[in-house]
Amino acid sequence: MNFEPKIVGFCCNWCSYRGADLAGTARMKCSPNVRIIRVMCSGRVEPTFVVKAFELGADGVLVLGCHAGDCHYSEGNYKTMRRMPLLKKMLAQMGIEEERVRLDWVSASEGDRFVSIVDDMTAKVRALGPFKNNSKEAKHG
Amino acid sequence: MEIATPMKETTDIILEKGGNPLELCYQCGLCTGVCPWNRLTSFTLRKLIHKSQLGVVDFEDEELWRCVGCNACVDRCPRDVEIPHIMRALRRVIIEVGAGIVPHSLRISEKNISAVGNPLGEPPEKRMDWAKDLGVKTFTKGTEILYFPCCYQTYDPPAQKTALATIDILKKAAVDFGIPDNNVVCCGESIRKAGAESLFQRLAKTNIDIFAELGVKKILVTSPHCYHTFKDEYPELGANYEVIHLSQYLADLIKDGRIKLTKELNKKVTYHDSCCLGRYQGIYDEHREILNSIPGLDFVEMPEMREYSLCCGGCAGRLWMESKKGERLSELRLEQVLEVGANTLAISCPYCMANFNDGVISMDKAGVLEVKDISELVAEAL
Amino acid sequence: MAEKKVATKKDTEPKIGVYVCHCGSNIAGTVDVPQVVEFAKGLPAVAIAREYKFMCSDPGQSMIKDDIKQLGLNRVVVASCSPLLHEPTFRHAIQEAGLNPYLFEMANIREHCSWTTEDHGEATEKAKALVSAAVKRIYLHQPLEVREVPVNPNTLIVGGGIAGIQAALEIADAGHKVYLVEKDPSIGGHMIQFDKTFPTLDCSACILTPKMTSAGSHPNIELMTYSEVEEIAGFIGSFKAKIRKKAKFVDESKCNGCGVCIEKCPWKADSEFDLGLSQRKAIYTPFPQAVPNIPVIDKESCAYFLKGKCRACEKFCEREAIDFEQQDKIVEIDVGNIIITTGYDPFDPTPIIKYGYGKFPNVVTGLEFERICNSVGPTGGKIVLKDGSEPKSIAIIHCVGSRDENYHKYCSRVCCMYALKYSHLIKEKTKADVYQMYIDMRCFGKGYEEFYQRLSDEGVTFIRGKPAEVTDRAISEEEKGKLIVVGEDSLLGTVIRVPVDMVILCIALEARADAKNVAQLFSISQGADAFFIERHPKLDPVATMTDGVFIAGCCQGPKDIPDTVAQASAAAARVLALISKGKVELEATVAVIDEEKCSGCRICNLLCPYNAIDFIEEEEVSRINDALCKGCGTCVAACPSAAITHKHFTTEEIMAEIEGVLV
Repeated sequence: MNFEPKIVGFCCNWCSYRGADLAGTARMKCSPNVRIIRVMCSGRVEPTFVVKAFELGADGVLVLGCHAGDCHYSEGNYKTMRRMPLLKKMLAQMGIEEERVRLDWVSASEGDRFVSIVDDMTAKVRALGPFKNNSKEAKHG
Repeated sequence: MEIATPMKETTDIILEKGGNPLELCYQCGLCTGVCPWNRLTSFTLRKLIHKSQLGVVDFEDEELWRCVGCNACVDRCPRDVEIPHIMRALRRVIIEVGAGIVPHSLRISEKNISAVGNPLGEPPEKRMDWAKDLGVKTFTKGTEILYFPCCYQTYDPPAQKTALATIDILKKAAVDFGIPDNNVVCCGESIRKAGAESLFQRLAKTNIDIFAELGVKKILVTSPHCYHTFKDEYPELGANYEVIHLSQYLADLIKDGRIKLTKELNKKVTYHDSCCLGRYQGIYDEHREILNSIPGLDFVEMPEMREYSLCCGGCAGRLWMESKKGERLSELRLEQVLEVGANTLAISCPYCMANFNDGVISMDKAGVLEVKDISELVAEAL
Repeated sequence: MAEKKVATKKDTEPKIGVYVCHCGSNIAGTVDVPQVVEFAKGLPAVAIAREYKFMCSDPGQSMIKDDIKQLGLNRVVVASCSPLLHEPTFRHAIQEAGLNPYLFEMANIREHCSWTTEDHGEATEKAKALVSAAVKRIYLHQPLEVREVPVNPNTLIVGGGIAGIQAALEIADAGHKVYLVEKDPSIGGHMIQFDKTFPTLDCSACILTPKMTSAGSHPNIELMTYSEVEEIAGFIGSFKAKIRKKAKFVDESKCNGCGVCIEKCPWKADSEFDLGLSQRKAIYTPFPQAVPNIPVIDKESCAYFLKGKCRACEKFCEREAIDFEQQDKIVEIDVGNIIITTGYDPFDPTPIIKYGYGKFPNVVTGLEFERICNSVGPTGGKIVLKDGSEPKSIAIIHCVGSRDENYHKYCSRVCCMYALKYSHLIKEKTKADVYQMYIDMRCFGKGYEEFYQRLSDEGVTFIRGKPAEVTDRAISEEEKGKLIVVGEDSLLGTVIRVPVDMVILCIALEARADAKNVAQLFSISQGADAFFIERHPKLDPVATMTDGVFIAGCCQGPKDIPDTVAQASAAAARVLALISKGKVELEATVAVIDEEKCSGCRICNLLCPYNAIDFIEEEEVSRINDALCKGCGTCVAACPSAAITHKHFTTEEIMAEIEGVLV
C-alpha cells in the first residue's frame, strides 16, 4: 500500500480557516492528508504543539496564517513568522527534516492557494516517507 | 483587413426611409437565429442591422433582397425592432437614391405593376375575364361586400380556382357581394416591401379612389397580403375599410349554418399558416375550425405551426425573384408536410400556393401531394 | 469587569453526545456516515452517537436537546459544516437545553472533508479523525461566562459623502449623537461633483444639498470637516478615537461665511473640486454650496504662508475670523460604534498611454466631464472643447481600468450607466454624434435597462469592442484634425476608425490610495481589489470582521448611489440596533494569567497588539484586561512560564485535538 502521510494543519480562524472553507464551498479537490485544527491566530501555535504532533505520529505539520499586514490581531502572524525559524532549527537538531514543517499564508479569499499548498506539502512529505519518530528515540535514547 | 468608419449621413438616410426602430437593436442576434433562411444559407441579419446602425451597408450586396418579411424575427425580437421595416428602408435607399442594384427579375415585376397594374404583365382590361360566365355582379353603390381577388387569383389559372371556389360558396350562402371592375390594380403590398414606395403610393391611391367612388365599406379578400395592406397600410393614406379574409368569413358561415358541409372528403390534410395571416394578424383558429368541420377529412398539424410556422419564402417580392435549388424555403416546408403524411396541403394565400405548386413539381411529388386553397376544399364539401 | 472564576473541577464526568449530519447528500454523498457514527460510539466518554439528514434543522436541534434532557449529556459534538456557519446555531440550541454554550464543539466534515475529497474511503477516514479530535477536545471543555459591556450611544462616521451623510442623518434623527469626520473642507463627496444622476436624470446637487444642509445643522450631528481620524482604541461599545482637526486658519465660531475673504484673496491655485479644470483662491470653499460654509486657507498657495506677506483676507474680514496662528487640534471622542464611508478614488487613466489622456487635451475622464456638464462647473455647463468650440462628435470609451487584468479585474458597475447619461446630456446640449464603445452593456438596476433602451432611441451609436487606441494620425481627409478612436467592432468583425472631437474615458472606481492605512487603523481587512471586506458577502454586507465597525458605500466596492444609500441606511440600522440593545456580549475566549506562575518577565506586555496586558509594579506580575483582550492567544504561546491560559483554546485542549486528528 502506498504511504499516505498524516499532516496536522493549524489554521487561524480569520484568514486561513476561511480559505480552507472556501476551497470546500467552491468544491475544489485537495489531498485529504491535512487535518485542520482551528486556532484564533497563528500566533497561538506554540512550538510544543508542533513537537507534540510529531511525537504522536504526524508526518508533517502545516501552520497557516493571514498574509503579512492582514492579521486580524494586527501582528500575531509576525510573531509566528519570527518563532518558526527558531523552531525549525530546534527540529533539525531533533532529526526532523525541514520540509516536514511549513509556515505559509492563506487569505480568506484564497481557496485555490490553500489547495495548492496542501497538495504541495502532501506530495513533499509523501516523498520523504513516514516520519520515524527519531525524536522520541533520541529523547529516550 | 477591411476598415470601417461610421457614416452618420448614411444612417440618417436609412432612418429617413423608415428604418426607424434601427437604433433600438442591441445586437443580440436572436433574429439571425430565428430567421428561416439560416436553415438553408447564411444570412446574418443581425450584422446587416449593425451595418445600418453604423451606415456602412454594402448596397450592392444581394443579401439585402433576401428578407421576405415573414416576421418570425419581429415576433421574438426582445427590443421590438420591426426588422422588415429596416429591410424596406434599405431597399428604398437602393431604389430611390440609386445606391445599389435591383435584381433583374424583381425589376420586371415592378415594371409590370407600374405599367399594367399587375405583376404578371397581363392586360388590365382582362382582369375580370375569369368571372365572365359566372353571372356575378360588379360591385355597385349599395352592394354589401366587395370581393377583391388578388392579381394571381384573377390571372393565374391555378390560383383562379380560389376565386372560383369563393364565388361558388358566396352564391350558395346567398351573400350580397360584387366584384370590382377592371380598373382596380394590385394592392401593392409586396412591391412596397421590396422598396418601391412611390409605386405603392400610386397603386394605393388608385384603389382608394375607386373604392371611394363606389362607396366600399366592407372588403372580402382571398389573399392575406391584400388583407394586410387594405387593413393596416391603406389607413396611412386616410382610407378605412372593414376587411375580412375569406377564412374568417367561412368560419362564420359554417357556424351560422348558412352553408352546410355535407360531402365527405377523404383526404389527409395539413394546414400551412401563411405569415401574413398568422404572425401579422394572429388568424389561426378559423382555418382549423373549417377543416375540422369537413366530413371525412383527416386533419393533421405540422410541428411548426401557428406563430412558429415556416415561411414559404414568397413575400416582399421574393416570389418574383429566382431562388437557387437548395435555397427554397417552400421545399423545406413541403418536406415537413410529407413528414406528417398529408396528401393535401391546405393554404389560404396565393403566394403560398404559387410557391408550393412549384415545389411539388420540382420535388417530383405531383401524384403524392396536392396544394389546395381552403376555399376549394370547402367548395368541394358543399 | 470582574474576572469570572473558571471552574477547575468537573462536577460530573463528561457525557458526550456526537451527532453526524448528512447535510442532504453534501456529506453523506462522500462520507460513510453510519461508519463515522459507529466509530464515534467507540470513543471514550461518548454516551450516544447519532446521524441525521440535517442537524441544523429544527428536528435535528430537537434531537440534541432531547438527548441532553433525557440522557443527561453534558457535552455535545456536531460533525457537519464549518463552525463559522453553524456554531452559533448549535451553541444556542444546547443553551436552550440548559448547557453552557461552550460545552460544544463542531467537526468540520463538509468544507474540509466531503467537499474537498473525491475518494469515499479517504473522506470517511478523515471525517473519523476530525470527529475523534472534537471528542478528545470537548472532554476538556469548561463552561465559560459570556461578558456584557455597555454600548456608548455616540457614533463615529468617517467620510462625508452621500453614504456618510445618509448614515449620519438616520442615526441623528433617531436621537443619537454622531461625529461626522470629513477630510475635505466640505461634506458632499463625489456625488456633489456630479451633474445629473442616472437613470432619473435628476440633478445631483438638487437632491444632495438639502441632505448636506440637514447634516450641517442637525443638533445631533457634530461635523468635523478638514479632519482625519488618527487613532482608534477600544472595542465595540466603547471606542476612543483621536481626530486631527487640521488648521483652517479661520475661526469657525466667528466666520459667517460672507465670502469677502475669498473675493479679496489675490492668489490662486487649481481647484481640486473641478479636477484642475478651473482655479480657486488660496482661501476658499471647494464649491458654492459647501457645508459648512466656512473657508479654509491652503498654506501651499497662500502668499502669507509662502512669502510672509499679504493678509488681504484678514484685512477685509469684519468678523476678525482669520487666524494665521491657528494650529492643528487633536480631539478625543468616545463612541460605541464606527461607520466607515470613505468612498473611492477615480482611476487615473494616464498609464493607458494609447488612450492619450494627458497628451490630447480633448481626451477627458468621466469625472471631468461631470464638471464640464455642470452649470456651476468650469465651462458654465457648456459642453465645449478646450478651444471653446462645440464638439461635433464624441466617443465614450467604457471599461477604462475596469475588467482589465492590467489594472482592475472587477467591473466598476456604474460606468455603463453614466456613459448613457452622458449620451443624453450631450444630445440635450449639443448636436454632436455620440459613439458608445462598450464591451458589454451592464444595465442591471431598477429602471436601468429602460434607460438604455430610451437612450438607444435617442440616436446613440453603440460599437461593441474595446478600442485599441486614440490617435491623431489621420489616414483620410475627414480624419484630419480629429481624434480617431481605433479598435475592432467585434459585431462587425472589422477594424473600425471613428473620427471624433472629444473622447470621454469611463474610468474605473478604485479603492482609496490610503485604504490600507484606514484598514489598519480600524482593524478591518481589504480584498484583493483593495476595497474593504464585509463580514459576509451576502448575509452580512455592512459589518466587518471587527465588531462595532461597519462599512457602507464605495469603500466596500464600486456601487451606484441607490446601493450606497441602501448600505448606509443598513449600517445605520445596525448601529441603532446596538444602541437600542444598550449592551454587547464579548467573546469569552480570552486569555488569563495565573499570577502564581507569572514571573513578571513582561514578554507578553510587548507582544499584545491591544495593549491589554498591564504590568502590576507592586505585585511584579502581569495582568490581562479582559475587556481589551481579543483572544488571539499570542501571549499564551510566548509565555516562558506557561502562566497564561487561553480559554477555550487551552494548551491541553489543543494537545488533545492533535492527538485526536492523528488516530
